[in-house]
Amino acid sequence: MTEKFDVIIVGLGASGGIIAEQLTAAGVRVLGLEKGADYTQDDFAVKQDELRYYQRGAIVSGGTVDPVTWRADNTSVARLFPWSAGVLGSDEPLYGMPAIGVGGGTLHWAGAAYRFREADFRMRSAIAERFGESSLPEGSTVADWPISYADLEPYYEKAEWEQGYSGSAGNIKGEFAPGTNPFDPPRNRDFPMPPVQQCPGDVPWVAATERLGMHPFRQPLAMNSVEYKGRPACVNCGFCHGYPCHVAARSSTHVTSVPAAKLTGNLDLRPHSRVIQVNRTPDGKRVIGVTYVDSAGETREVEAPIVILSAYALENARLMLVSGITGRGQVGANFMTHNFGWFASILPEATNPFLGTFNASSAIDDFTSEMVPDNDLGVLWGSPVISVTGDLQPIEAVHLMNPAVQKYGLEFKHWMRDNYTHMHRMYSQHTNFPYKRHYVDLDPLIKDSLGVPAIRITHAWEDHDANSVELFGGIKQRIAQEMGAKETWMDSPRPPYHLSTHDVGVHRMGYDPEASVTDPFGAVHDIEGLYAVGGGSFVSYGGYNPTETIQALAYLSAENLLERWGARST
Amino acid sequence: MSSDFPTEPLLFFNSAEAITVDALAAQIIPSEADSPGAHEAGVVFYIDRALAGFMRDLRPLYRRGLQTLSDLSNKSFGAEFSALTDEQQRQLVETLDARAKADPDDFAGQFFRIVGEHSVQGFFGDPAYGGNRDVVGWKLVGFPGAQWGYSAEQMQPGVDARRIPISTVADLYARIRKVSS
Repeated sequence: MTEKFDVIIVGLGASGGIIAEQLTAAGVRVLGLEKGADYTQDDFAVKQDELRYYQRGAIVSGGTVDPVTWRADNTSVARLFPWSAGVLGSDEPLYGMPAIGVGGGTLHWAGAAYRFREADFRMRSAIAERFGESSLPEGSTVADWPISYADLEPYYEKAEWEQGYSGSAGNIKGEFAPGTNPFDPPRNRDFPMPPVQQCPGDVPWVAATERLGMHPFRQPLAMNSVEYKGRPACVNCGFCHGYPCHVAARSSTHVTSVPAAKLTGNLDLRPHSRVIQVNRTPDGKRVIGVTYVDSAGETREVEAPIVILSAYALENARLMLVSGITGRGQVGANFMTHNFGWFASILPEATNPFLGTFNASSAIDDFTSEMVPDNDLGVLWGSPVISVTGDLQPIEAVHLMNPAVQKYGLEFKHWMRDNYTHMHRMYSQHTNFPYKRHYVDLDPLIKDSLGVPAIRITHAWEDHDANSVELFGGIKQRIAQEMGAKETWMDSPRPPYHLSTHDVGVHRMGYDPEASVTDPFGAVHDIEGLYAVGGGSFVSYGGYNPTETIQALAYLSAENLLERWGARST
Repeated sequence: MSSDFPTEPLLFFNSAEAITVDALAAQIIPSEADSPGAHEAGVVFYIDRALAGFMRDLRPLYRRGLQTLSDLSNKSFGAEFSALTDEQQRQLVETLDARAKADPDDFAGQFFRIVGEHSVQGFFGDPAYGGNRDVVGWKLVGFPGAQWGYSAEQMQPGVDARRIPISTVADLYARIRKVSS
């Protein structure tokens, strides 16, 4: 007999974990299907190992499990992500898909917990108002969101307080505290915790940006700075981004929402269970369940009137496409990702870059989003500039080192000896407009071990991306100079990667089924009971990290699901 | 042969291959009188163990690469790479680097890049993997290694991190055993 549930959740990561918690607390019987492991804290007791987690990507799926292919345009043959999959490549967690396993990407994220600002939700209108309609890049499908910042504000707050975020809010109901971010969007309430311990290398950056008249603020992080909800404060071990947390100080649904969902007794969680198809009624108009391959390799069918796809954005698109769900051609459309514009400096003082977590440092919002400075490069949308001074181990440092320096011999050895402890980095996250020509679909040639086609990315860096890196490279150079940097270098404006755990927008939200895949709550148009949630629903992509918005949207979806499910059960 | 013979068991390479890889790694991270390099770190043992396990797919590539290096060395200097003088080895490595720069698909250049990457891993990775012996890689750059955490005092500007005792994954295991006993 086919097993039946109230709701099936596919992927227990940043969103799936939250939705599972919210639904099970209300008495909904949930089946959670997770393709990776359900790790225990003991699994991560000693994780301070750069080879295991960073160079060999112990908890990410990598190209052999979940292959991703890429091509620059639709006339080329896609190859397995060439920036990572070659013999020289490694599974560095930054340039692949996030971890699989309960917690998903939140198992190893750096925890940068930014809200989007008001203007980010109306990017198209804001650009048209400032630069004119005609300034929008040709062929871009950039649009305003169907929801506003104000709509999402209560859910942002919920994510911050429920999931445990630390920081120092700037704008609380219009009140600005000194030393906080004067460009912060208005919020109802401060963070539940103050910022984590600052890395020493951030101190000269803060001083330099202040001297330049900028407004540095401590970054909000999904990381405990004090004990919170039974989890301890961060111990500053410096093996954070790409690594699991050994003390559970990082907010991950693996230690926040999923344990709570388990306690209700309403969550049937099945790890190592890979969904291969979404099943619908013969007319295709209603979802009836999913087919998955269990940990023993058996193919199983399970049923529920509601199925929520909360895997990674690209995986959501892949699952819909292999199930014949194309959303009038919208599934997979509008792929967006970040270009980071990495900029490195060697500072006169020691930064001890191995200390602390990746973002235990500051940022400026002076040039973010609609506040992009006037420029001749045609850059229409700005980004925060972020200081990174922690979480840098020596092998990664070699990968990041000045490309002008020879990578062998005494020159190499002495460079590392003299400079490693003085390295400082900056990055920004550049707006990648959606275009028709940037999309994901199923690779016609490459399949995973179960025979499911790989997801194929078609994406190239456009002039706007490269020009954004150039424009902000100038700002970074000014800051580096002000810090007295002895040596600086910058990433290519058109870097080799096109996948970075920041990939969004392949099942856009909206009200028009001809131009979007889901409604703002994640309900897929034209298919009753099917939801797709996460970064895939983003309409545009400014310079902030995606996860807090993903988590806020998950709370919004859960609330809506409960309203609809409540109506169903009466 | 006898005095060059590996000091500990090999899991993949034969002794001649190990001697060649050791010599090549030593050109990538050279040893100095007062400063150990890839040779002292045991980089060759890291690579050997990796090829016996995690990197087993690269075995044919290493065998082919070592053959290519041998051919080049014999053609240029009439001897195996490990038998060349330091100066000759350096010249050959410069050639390999130039080839890698000129053509990313050049196999000899690519092999040099790969050994370079693996040498870095063996020099800076945790000693549990067979390299970075006596944590010489971490001592060189001032990395305190696998630490449980750092205190707020250690996070202050101006702290001389070289005074923090270096810790390894094995040390963290010992710490946990001690706490739980």
